[in-house]
Amino acid sequence: MISKNLTAASTKPIILGILKQGTSYGYLIIKKIKELSGGKMKYSDGMLYPVLHRLEKDGLIESKWVMEDDSARPRKYYEITEAGKQELVQEQQQWSQVNAVLNTIWDVKPSTT
Amino acid sequence: MFDLEKSIRLWLRAFRKYRAFGHGSIREMELHVRDHIDDLMADGHSERSAFELAVAEFGEVPAMADEAFLNYRRKTTLRSIIFNTMVKNYSKTSLRGLMKNPLTSFINIFGLSVAIGFCLLVYVFIQYDYDIDQFHENKNEIYLTTFFVDRDGEERHYVSAPAPLALHLKDDFEQFRNVCRVEDRDVVMKFEDNVFHEQVRYVDPAFLDMFTFPLQWGASGSLNDINSIILSADMALKYFGTENPLGKDIQMIFREGDSKIFKVSGVAKPFPKARTIDFDFLINFKNLNASDLAFDANDWGTFLSGTFIQVDENAEVGKITDRMAAYRSFQNEGQSDWAITSFGLERLSNLHFATAKIRDDISFDYNAEARLGLPVVALIMLGLACFNYINIALVSATKRLKEIGVRKVIGANKRSVVVQFLTENLVITFFALLIGLFLALTLIIPWFRGLSGDPLKVDFLNLNLWIFMAATMLLTAVVSGVYPAFYISKFDAVKIFKGSIKFGKKSPLTKIFLGAQLVLTCAGIACAILFIQNNEYQNNQSWGYNQNGILYLNLPDSSSFDRLEAAMLDNKNILSISGAQDHLGITHRTSVLRRPDRNFEVDHLSVSPNYLKTMEIEVLVGRSFKDRSENDKRSIVVNELLLEKLKLSDPLGAEFEMDSIKYEVIGVVKDFHSYNFYHELRPTMFTVAEEKEYNYFIARAREGAHKEIYLELRRKWIDLFPEIPFQGGHQEDTWAGFYAQLDTAEHFYKVLSIMAIMLASLGLYGLVNLNVAGRTKEFSIRKVLGAGVSSLSKNVVKEYALLAIVSLSIGIPLSYYMGIATLDMLYAYRVPVTPLPLIMAVMILLIILLAVVSTQIGKVIKSNPVEGLRLEK
Repeated sequence: MISKNLTAASTKPIILGILKQGTSYGYLIIKKIKELSGGKMKYSDGMLYPVLHRLEKDGLIESKWVMEDDSARPRKYYEITEAGKQELVQEQQQWSQVNAVLNTIWDVKPSTT
Repeated sequence: MFDLEKSIRLWLRAFRKYRAFGHGSIREMELHVRDHIDDLMADGHSERSAFELAVAEFGEVPAMADEAFLNYRRKTTLRSIIFNTMVKNYSKTSLRGLMKNPLTSFINIFGLSVAIGFCLLVYVFIQYDYDIDQFHENKNEIYLTTFFVDRDGEERHYVSAPAPLALHLKDDFEQFRNVCRVEDRDVVMKFEDNVFHEQVRYVDPAFLDMFTFPLQWGASGSLNDINSIILSADMALKYFGTENPLGKDIQMIFREGDSKIFKVSGVAKPFPKARTIDFDFLINFKNLNASDLAFDANDWGTFLSGTFIQVDENAEVGKITDRMAAYRSFQNEGQSDWAITSFGLERLSNLHFATAKIRDDISFDYNAEARLGLPVVALIMLGLACFNYINIALVSATKRLKEIGVRKVIGANKRSVVVQFLTENLVITFFALLIGLFLALTLIIPWFRGLSGDPLKVDFLNLNLWIFMAATMLLTAVVSGVYPAFYISKFDAVKIFKGSIKFGKKSPLTKIFLGAQLVLTCAGIACAILFIQNNEYQNNQSWGYNQNGILYLNLPDSSSFDRLEAAMLDNKNILSISGAQDHLGITHRTSVLRRPDRNFEVDHLSVSPNYLKTMEIEVLVGRSFKDRSENDKRSIVVNELLLEKLKLSDPLGAEFEMDSIKYEVIGVVKDFHSYNFYHELRPTMFTVAEEKEYNYFIARAREGAHKEIYLELRRKWIDLFPEIPFQGGHQEDTWAGFYAQLDTAEHFYKVLSIMAIMLASLGLYGLVNLNVAGRTKEFSIRKVLGAGVSSLSKNVVKEYALLAIVSLSIGIPLSYYMGIATLDMLYAYRVPVTPLPLIMAVMILLIILLAVVSTQIGKVIKSNPVEGLRLEK
């Protein structure tokens, strides 16, 4: 199980990453995260929304209400903006760097002396 | 039984407790849970378990609210500041503060109320002024034709259009929707026993299509009938009472023995109050030939009161006037005295404001003085009130230092102290606005209405009024409150508690504000006194001839002069009788005197030979006209000013041409005023009139007998002209309107100066009171150490003496120049300026200052020093 803090820290790149693949709405985003993490990332569904709204306020994503023909319910669809895409690139770099540092550390054999 | 919908509703209710969740986000979350429940039920869960699972996975509401609030809190809007801090909290403290210091609150609120009340008056006045003649639906399509004439190098603008102009315009300009001639004439109206002198407007039938004067009875088309007459609502009431007069006959008497019966075919609805163009009676223009046998509609030498055209709203006026230039030749051929340089068009919507620059205008503008003066007065009053407020706020802050310190210690930052003070200010201004509105409605506006006669009305349905009031309130609150608020908020809490802030007493800014207030008050009082003095001067100024004992009558026709003269000749109390075509102070003609090289426009009075003697106009050089002298029919007598303009070294015998006839100057008279003193003297000349042309009968009564003669004239009139109402009076009454205006102005200035004095006194009193109160301990120590009355007084007076000297030395020259500039603008002949108003203003100010300071000194002297020392401060 992935820790709460780490989950929280990774929310932003995950959401941006999912939205980069196409527009989506809250319930679908959560579902996707759960699928991808194989249930290892523990999430309260509700915590997603404040994050989405903050990203929107920061101009990284945009939203609009859509009434789909095949559904009885309207959905609030989110879409990544250009600024969001740039932000995602930076996040990717940062996470890769963290990953690289961790890999390097863990690859070093324990000193025998 | 599990009710899913109800459960969802209950669950959502938990979110609504938090302001962080807007309607949109709650809806979004609801949809999320519903989707989730659908999915779970599809996987085989029951409704209840699906709901419980979905809600559990959704998470705890308070945690979400905290997270969401992070987004929410960063949104600091103006609204949130106002609602979170100001209204809730500070209005309460402001109200408490107001109650705690009733005197300062009263001074602040009262001063601001009077000033705001005055601002409202100005608003209502300006609104009225800008509404004038704006009710006409076609106001942007109707133009008044005007023309320009070159007078000795100076271009002059006139309204009275040549009579044939309208006919040409109608023929030549197809795009004109309407063309309408307007001519006003005096007649006598008779219906049964009601007989009055009236003015009738002769118009083309298009008049009522062009202007918006709806009828309450009858049809506007009836003007096409030359026997129809349309009345204003006032005139219908005057002659027929409240009954419908349609179809009734009314007799119009043009002159004795010549009249016409008209049928009332329409009555207008009461006119809007804000107007300068209207009518009493309207009849078809063609009737002009009946009333004036000499009238020729095709004569370019005949001028009408006005000619209006109506065009499409986007018509290019410049092109029209360019084409109209072609008519100049018609006019200029026969009328070389009135050679037109160009034609102009003045839009109806703009006519009221343009009127001051145009001669013989059909509309008028009595508001120019007030339009300029009132806003200045209101601003000075508002300025005084704001200075009062700033001073008192700064000084009263010394009493509230601890409060500010405590607020700062428990976490208030600079901004919240500023907000607190501004809120207090807003509360005060709000009260001031309410009281100001009350004062404006009950006192200020009714007072001004009575004074000026302007039909001012406060229209609460007018959105602009509310915007204006809100703007005045906010502006006043900000102007008077920003400086004190920022100044006070800067204090350091630690210094406050250590007592090392000595503020208010020595602050140079308090002094500057107080100084500014003194300067304004000084200027206000000095100007008021100067104006009152000037009024006195105008009241006593000589008209240049002897008005006392002069009586005048309007004659009904050419033979009436002889009959009246014969009837009055035996009267021993009459010193002299004259006739005149034009009478001084009432009418004159404008004529052009020509020399080969130059021409002069002059006021022209045609009179009987002994007119100058009757009026007691002094002849300086040469002589007056001789009785029954054929030669003198080609003679002129000029006034000093005309002589000066003519630049003749030897005026007697100089020759001029007028209407192609040669005239010779035989005398020069002392300057006299044909207009009131707002206007400059004009070059004027007299010629001898034919007896049949006399329009006026003028008599000089023996001293003390003029009332008796007046009654005698009335009696004889009734015998001689029973059909025609008497029209005449005392020469002094000619200027009754002018003197009434002077009285009005004097009243206005007096009230203003009293208000300025009151505002300044209140402010000074508040300030000195606070200042002395703040030094109670100091004075107590001085007293204990043996300071006497004089030493204490010196100490208090010292504070203000220098300030008074400095501000008066600025205020005195300022008032001097302001006063003179204003008088010069308004009056052609003003009172010579003496130091008296300035001395009086300074005296008044010093007396106020002394009175205020001495009451406080008295307080200090009477106070018990032990009590003073016990004070915690």
